[in-house]
Amino acid sequence: MILYFFIAVPVFSATLIYLVSFRYAKITAILIQTALFAASVHTFLKVRSTGEIVATLGGWESVAGITLKADSISVVFLMLTTFLFLAYLIFGLIEDYADNLFIFLFIVLQSLIATIFLSNDLFNIYLVVEVSTMLVAVLIMFKKDSRSIYDGLIYLLTNIVAMGFFLFGIGYMYKIFGVLNISTITQMIENNPDIAGSLYMPFALLITGAGLKCAIMPLFSWLPKAHGTPSAPSIVSAVLSGLYVKGGIYLFIRIRDMFLPAINVDGYFLVIGIVTAVGGIILALLQKDIKLILAYSTISQLGLIMMGLTMGSYYSYWGAILHIFNHAVFKSALFMSAGLIVKEFKTRNIYKIKGVLYRMPIVSIAAFMAMLGITGAPLFNGSISKYFLQGGTPGDIMQIVLVVVNFGTILLFIDYSRMFFGKISEKKTTMSIIRQLTVLVMGIICFLGGIQGFVINRLFFDIGLEIDYMSYTTKMLVYIASIVIGFIVHNFVIKKSLFITRGYSLELSFNNVCLTIFLFFMATLIVVGFT
Amino acid sequence: MDFINGENIALVLFFIGIYGVIARRNIVKSIISIGIMDSAVILFFLTINNSVDSVPPVGNPVSNMADPLPQALMITAIVIGVSITAMSMAMFIYLYHKYGTTNWKKARLKRMENKIQ
Repeated sequence: MILYFFIAVPVFSATLIYLVSFRYAKITAILIQTALFAASVHTFLKVRSTGEIVATLGGWESVAGITLKADSISVVFLMLTTFLFLAYLIFGLIEDYADNLFIFLFIVLQSLIATIFLSNDLFNIYLVVEVSTMLVAVLIMFKKDSRSIYDGLIYLLTNIVAMGFFLFGIGYMYKIFGVLNISTITQMIENNPDIAGSLYMPFALLITGAGLKCAIMPLFSWLPKAHGTPSAPSIVSAVLSGLYVKGGIYLFIRIRDMFLPAINVDGYFLVIGIVTAVGGIILALLQKDIKLILAYSTISQLGLIMMGLTMGSYYSYWGAILHIFNHAVFKSALFMSAGLIVKEFKTRNIYKIKGVLYRMPIVSIAAFMAMLGITGAPLFNGSISKYFLQGGTPGDIMQIVLVVVNFGTILLFIDYSRMFFGKISEKKTTMSIIRQLTVLVMGIICFLGGIQGFVINRLFFDIGLEIDYMSYTTKMLVYIASIVIGFIVHNFVIKKSLFITRGYSLELSFNNVCLTIFLFFMATLIVVGFT
Repeated sequence: MDFINGENIALVLFFIGIYGVIARRNIVKSIISIGIMDSAVILFFLTINNSVDSVPPVGNPVSNMADPLPQALMITAIVIGVSITAMSMAMFIYLYHKYGTTNWKKARLKRMENKIQ
């Protein structure tokens, strides 16, 4: 029963706030959000003590009706959603553009994201993703700048094309199984894995839709436009990169797990994950726009998560899920701090910003914590998830690939941190202290997630992953070595602009994005057919 | 002529729509192609598991009832499709006022002219 509240309460309260539009609307929104967060913690504790909660709409039996399911993974994502939205609301409501319409759209988006995590019905998931795509497009171009209109239109249309594939896949699933309930379909595939031949087409269609949503390598080019568009509000960038893209990864996990007894193409996705992780870093190093750097770094981290999910070991699978969680926290902190920095310095060019550390000390500390988190520094949350990711790697080659990817991340953020130092102006920031503290809290969570990582791991996911302190120390040494080499490479290669020209952007036109979607679909179909 | 059934026609229509979004540079034609893909999926849903002699699921049909679920689902999909078309057309009009072109390639060039400050 309580699961309905996470979907209904935001919609109704947001509508009410929009229609009545009284003076204390923003405070009310934050209070309701706090209550939702408390409710999600309550649900989490309930799921942990009594097992998964299933709620069927309208009292039908679970096969016929639309079911919401909160199992041990999805309830953690639900808690993450409500917590991050609380942080975004506190951070964003002071902005000038945050009028009642913005609050309405933003809070409704939360309800849709919660439904993506909770829903257990394929068609319901399709609807929610489609509606949230439209909402996100409106939020991207909320300031009506001409660039963001173009970006919003590209975002909307490419995602709609991909969701067309997804809906076609649902049609095939309904034709084969006659139900749309994911749990039931999973059981049916388990009981009779001989039907694999008829599942190739729906698998390729569904995975194309989910693949575009999680921005794997050939399908990534909408993401930097949407997440890094110049005039999008910074909380919109934060929610897109921190949370919304995780909905795509979650979709991928669900579809992969659903088909796993019959179709297993983990090797294919492992290769795609490696290409995404490496390519994302290379493209990020070519940018000079703060938001674009962070957006491309999101692509690379998504590739890392994809690698962990498909490496085929228990350790790396859970490491990847923990990394989804951690990435949401530190990428939100990075985008929020970047939003404040852009607002303070009135430029997004990383070469023109200097001396942030002196001018905005609180924000800088938060950004540094988040950067240590994303690079996997010892004692920060990224190190725990990356440790597990590496813990289950088969063979030395994957170890080397992971170290290289992490080295790229370190190099990127050494370069990113250049704007914190340098010229000192006498001015101190006059930015609202509430917003600075919100960012700081996010940064501190990165740290707490590191020193309490094992506790959190056991608490959240109930998996007995043990850490071997010997190998953890080795990882620390590798990290420190990477930092040193990173500084050297940065000083002698990147600062002198050897091999790279800054400001390059890979702008695919709409037609080419659609072509990549189609080619990805054909490639998946061929790979699935031949394995 | 058994192969001319709803499913196969839907498949062909879907890929015609895909061809449209890949090959046409006109933004309006892209939106129309997405509409074609949508209609193909709707046709597909309505014809799967359907036989000619089935009766409508109204009242208390005795047997051979048509499956009502795809039709209910497709009403929702149609609504979503209409709103998406409306929204993308509105966005296109706004873009046209700003950039003065209906061509993806020219719009992209204009977008790239905007350097970061």
